[in-house]
Order: sequence, then C-alpha cells, then structure tokens
Amino acid sequence: MSNSRVIILTHNTLEAIGLKGLLRDVFAIDAHIADDGYFSTFNQSIEPHLFFIDKATLVANLAFFLPRKSKTIVLTTGNEVIEDIKTLNCSASESEIISAMSLLLETNHHEEKPSSTLSSREIEVLRLIAMGKINKEIAQELNISINTVLTHRKNLTAKLGIKSVSGLSFYAMMNGIV
Amino acid sequence: MALINHDSKLSEIILHDPSTITVLDRFGIALGVGDATIEQACSQHDIDVNFFVTILNTYINENYFPQQALEQFEVTEIVEYLSKTNSYYEHYILPNIERHFSFLIARAPSHNNNIIIMKQFFDEMKNELLQRINDDRDRLFPEVISNVKTLKTVSELSHNENATDTIEDKIDDLINMIVMHLKGDYDHNLGYAVIVAIFSLKKDIKQNNRIRRRILLPIYNSLTPQDE
Repeated sequence: MSNSRVIILTHNTLEAIGLKGLLRDVFAIDAHIADDGYFSTFNQSIEPHLFFIDKATLVANLAFFLPRKSKTIVLTTGNEVIEDIKTLNCSASESEIISAMSLLLETNHHEEKPSSTLSSREIEVLRLIAMGKINKEIAQELNISINTVLTHRKNLTAKLGIKSVSGLSFYAMMNGIV
Repeated sequence: MALINHDSKLSEIILHDPSTITVLDRFGIALGVGDATIEQACSQHDIDVNFFVTILNTYINENYFPQQALEQFEVTEIVEYLSKTNSYYEHYILPNIERHFSFLIARAPSHNNNIIIMKQFFDEMKNELLQRINDDRDRLFPEVISNVKTLKTVSELSHNENATDTIEDKIDDLINMIVMHLKGDYDHNLGYAVIVAIFSLKKDIKQNNRIRRRILLPIYNSLTPQDE
C-alpha cells in the first residue's frame, strides 16, 4: 500500500498517535493524522486508499464517507457493529487489534503489483534515458506525451529500485540495453 | 530512542546505535566510555555540552529540529565537526568501500562485468562526494567562519543542497543495484563486505546531511553577503 495515503481522523489524539505507531511499526505504513480541516482542503487527485475514523467523524461527514465506505474503517470501543462499514474495536487486546488490522488491510490490498519484468516500451524509455535524453526528447522520439514518459519512469524506478539517471544508465549498460 | 540529554549515559547511546561511535570520535571521545554521562564526558573533553547534545539528537532522531538552540553555538564548532565528518568519508569510508570492491572484482571471473559496472557507478558517486568535500573545505567552511558569503543568490545554494540529495539518491541506487541486480559468480563474503560498507556510508551521509540542512544551512543563510 502506498505510503501516506492512509488517513487517520479521530478526535482522540492518543488513539490517533497509537494507531499511527502501530501502522508504522507492524505494517510499515506511514499514515497521516488529519484534523477537521481535512475536508475543506481535500484534493480529489490524491484520493487516499484507506481511512481510519471515529464515529463522530463518520456521522458529521456521512456524505463524504458513504461513497468511500469500502475503504473506511470506523474505530469503536467494544464490539459495536455499524451496518455495511468495517469497524476496529480499539478496546480489544493488542494482539487482537493487530490480527483484525491484518485482515482489514488485506481486503484493501487489491491493487495489482506491476510485473517485475520490464515491458518493451519501458526498455525503450530506459535506453533513451541512458543515452542522456531528457523527458521532452524521449516523448518526441517515441511519439508519446510527457506524462506517459513520466509514468514509464515511475514504473522503471519501482521495478528496478533505481531512481537517478546515472544509476539507470549503469543498469542499462549492465544489461546490454545500450 | 528517546531524546538525549545531559544525564544520558554514553554507553547506553552507543549500545542503542553503534554508528554513534563515529560521531563521538569526531569529538575526541573513543571507546571505553565507562559509566560517564554526557555532562561528565563533555567537561572532561572540554566540549560544549549543548552543542554535543544537539548534534547527537539531530543524528539519532529524524524528527528532531534544533532551531531554538542554534544561536548559542560557535560556528567554528559546527565547521570543525563537519570537517571531521568529511575527513572520515575521504580517508576511511570511501577507501574502505573501494578496497572491498577491488577484492570482489579481483576474485570474480573475468566475464562477470556487472560488478565492474557497479564499481564505475560507485566511482561516479565517490567523485561527486569528494567534490562536495573540496567545496566545503575551500569555500563553504571558510565563508561560514569569516561570516561572509560570496554566493550571489540563495538559489545557487539550494542547488547545492539538491546536489547533496543526489549523492543520497545515488547511494540508494547503488545499494538497490547490488541487492536486486547482482548476478553471475562472485565471492559471497566479499559481496557482503561491499554492501555493509555502503550501508554504513549511507547511514552516516543521511544523518549528517540532516545536520547540514538543519544547523549549517540556517547559519549560512544568515551570513552577510559580500559587497560586489
């Protein structure tokens, strides 16, 4: 799950800090603790993957959360059930909370991981990067938009674990791409 | 780790994070620290205890911002600390990685050229780091000490700071390259020695870049520009 696309919205500060710590230490997820100002500055282009909210936040922002109920988890105390929305019982024991969270996070983990082998287009882009071309030139050469070039570069970095231009160039040399 | 204060014991700090040994060394404190607290060790070695605590906290804790304590430090202390850090890279860590790499290459079959290409990538990163070290020594540090900056615009400096990030990026890339893409025959123990040495460089650079950004940069920004 991508980092910082997990939002925690609860009026219980200690609960928020505890949840953030648990997500970080056990699940390696860097969650963001938001406050009520979140909704006024909400930016649709960076739609989060998951919300942990308290009941008051749910009630006050039903119009926001109902369309997002598949990725909303309501923090409760006790085995409270809220129709159609997943809940996490914050007064359960630590191990129960962790196993409940593993289940909740798994069901939200449907995004497919990109295959680790490079597509022929990505190899093309990699070859041009290694030749020292900038994004604009790559776009022109392959007749694609700069945004598409950026997407290819993002995927290259995700697949190879290499970000810098010189790192990518040396990788291309190692693998006979240039 | 919890924030370090005057009463923290040196031995506990080292046991928690052994990479602090190199930081203590830059202050003249060697292993064999006994039961001493920071306060005691600082008075024994004639170190400004507040500066020492700030450096250690910035080094250990990612979220620590030392802003309030800044004005009370002598710039010479910071420059001296960072000079020793540079010298540690130049004379110990980089040659160490290089030595491990040469053993790895020497022992690998000649047709395995991917290690040689990785070494070339390392050389490029190394040269960039050495260039920064030279620039620190010849320009940045003397300017900080003499309280005069010659850079005309702040953007030139922020460009420099981006270059700093590039060194971190390249070290990350080099590590990923070895972890994910090393192939062919090679001596596994030597491969391990190379990667561990690069990891320790990565950790030190990352933490000291934080010290550069949060302590040195604000000082540099407050310097008087030189009259044209």
